[in-house]
Amino acid sequence: MNMGKVVFGFFVLLALTLNFGFFLGDIDNPDHHNVYELFAALVVGLIATVLKFGERSHMGAVLLASSLVVDLQLIAAAIVWAVAVHMTDHGLTPMVMASIVSLSGGALLANLLSVVLLTLETAGLSR
Amino acid sequence: MGVRTESLLFLFFRRMRVPLVVLISAYAIATVGFTLMPGVDDQGNPWRMSLFEAFYVVSYTGSTIGFGEVPYDFTPAQRMWTMVSIYLTVIAWLFSIGSIISLMQDPVFGNALRRARQSRGVRAMNRPFYLVCGYGDTGRILVRALSARGHPVVVVEKQREKIETLEVEDLGAAVTSFGMDAQTPDNLVEAGLRNRWCVGVIAVTGSDKINLKIAISAKLLNHSVVVHARADSTSATANMRSFDTDYVVNPVEEYIRRMELAITRPDVFRLYNWISSGPGARLVPPREVPAGNWIVCGFSQVGRAVAELLEQQGMTVTVIDPNPEGPGRPAGTVAGRGTQAKTLTEAGVESAVGIVAATSDDADNLSILITARDLNPELFLATLENGYSTHALFRAAEPDFVGQPSQVIAGYMLCRVSSSLVEPFLSEILERDNGFARDLLAKLLRHQSDSSPEFTAGRISARRAPAIARAIEAGVEVPISTLLRDPGQRDRKLPLEAVLLRRDDGDILCPGDDTALELGDRILLAGCTGTGRGVRAALENDRILEYLLTGEERRSGWVWGQRHPDSAADA
Repeated sequence: MNMGKVVFGFFVLLALTLNFGFFLGDIDNPDHHNVYELFAALVVGLIATVLKFGERSHMGAVLLASSLVVDLQLIAAAIVWAVAVHMTDHGLTPMVMASIVSLSGGALLANLLSVVLLTLETAGLSR
Repeated sequence: MGVRTESLLFLFFRRMRVPLVVLISAYAIATVGFTLMPGVDDQGNPWRMSLFEAFYVVSYTGSTIGFGEVPYDFTPAQRMWTMVSIYLTVIAWLFSIGSIISLMQDPVFGNALRRARQSRGVRAMNRPFYLVCGYGDTGRILVRALSARGHPVVVVEKQREKIETLEVEDLGAAVTSFGMDAQTPDNLVEAGLRNRWCVGVIAVTGSDKINLKIAISAKLLNHSVVVHARADSTSATANMRSFDTDYVVNPVEEYIRRMELAITRPDVFRLYNWISSGPGARLVPPREVPAGNWIVCGFSQVGRAVAELLEQQGMTVTVIDPNPEGPGRPAGTVAGRGTQAKTLTEAGVESAVGIVAATSDDADNLSILITARDLNPELFLATLENGYSTHALFRAAEPDFVGQPSQVIAGYMLCRVSSSLVEPFLSEILERDNGFARDLLAKLLRHQSDSSPEFTAGRISARRAPAIARAIEAGVEVPISTLLRDPGQRDRKLPLEAVLLRRDDGDILCPGDDTALELGDRILLAGCTGTGRGVRAALENDRILEYLLTGEERRSGWVWGQRHPDSAADA
């Protein structure tokens, strides 16, 4: 067993689960989506990105690319949230919430791809 | 293959993985902590920071900017957490920055970075350049001379400390130096072997084996490149010649060739030595090599060859060698090194006419020269100068004949590098008699007395010499003398001589100035440094050519140029 692989797999998977947890619920209901979960998903996503740095294989490159997509989507969601809550008077209206959640939904797809790729690679290794 | 910038970026990120994860974690912990700490707003109501505000606070404390306590004064709990987050983030930053700095100082990373930069430089090269492998004495002379002529040079040398000074030296053209092993073909490719601007590969490392490998790689990987190689042993010389290495220099062979010329045809020797001894070579004063008894000190590779040569020329030779019983030593070899008066007297220095100091130790050679001169001031002093470091001493000792391997090799290569016509010119010269060389020498000496002549070569073709090609096509006879006139004042002659004319039906050595040029001719000019460029005007410009031919200045081009409608209208 390789500790590095465990840590790597852990962060990639955790990024997906946290992201899924935030995504779950009515799309426009602020009560269903905890901002801490978004924050955690973003932080774990960033760490997963850093862990993928420097992988020169083709698989590593696609993994890094999908991770960068996750970061981009989640940062966008966080900015929308910060602007809505702190810079406008409306607060978290259903419309704003829907756009935050849909951005995190995009990140969810990229995270899912990461995990699928990782699984494929692992399966390929054991063959 | 070479290190690419991209892989450097990956290397950087791979090394930065841990510091970055630490940094992200520290920020995350500090941010979440702030949102959990109970605080009060300006009205005294319980209040907690949102993630946005918390991140704001962490951002400015982490980077040690510190705006104070915003938006409201902190409670003790928040202050406590501020302390925690300051230490956490500052330490994380120190760790990351420390890692970056240690990565930058890492010699491996630094070398990779430098190499990537140099490879980029070689790829971007857009002028003909030379690839010099090995930066010893020979390499240094070559690089200085080539860059002084304006050619960029790429140097490959395994010992990094030798090329360190190259980066700060002030040379005439761009010199890129790689600290890598020239034996590996990949390294040569990285240094630009396959670049289309690479015109010559020069292998002058200290080892025959490496030079051989370089020559083979160069010949196989780039067919159009001209390969110059140094070979010390006879077998390596033969080996290199066997696969068409363009120029192979064997310093011993070259030393013997010059010595033989000096004995048999002194003026050919003076001319040849002047041309092929590198930049700044002086014409040696005429001095006949006397016939009689000779002493050869040191039965090295050179000593043996010199002894053989002298005997062939009908002289009697006494050898002085520390090992008189060794293989190949002739009978009557005197034991010793020749540095002591006793040994020299024993070898008969009083009755000798010349001495050759050919030991492998320069201090011994100098000592032999000085001692021998004391004993017999009339001696012809010939010597071998092994290294370049004692050059000043050898100059001061003023021997009659010196062989300096690095200078001999560099000179041999430098004169041949300028054009492929130089080699046929020199071999023609070597075939000619003494009188011919004396005349040519006198001709060249009309223009210059100190520095050796520089060669310029040109082809009379529609592309290279459009003006002359048009004139010849129109039926005008263009003699060689036209090229040698000053384009500013036609009755003045440029300090140049035409020394070789190459035609399909053979070479003409020293063609007369009234020889008419033909299309397809290649011509080699020798003369003062830098004057070769002056000829170009006559090659390319119709008006200047017409002035040079007839002495008349016109405002427009050739009247016979049927292809030029505007000039036809003018006529």
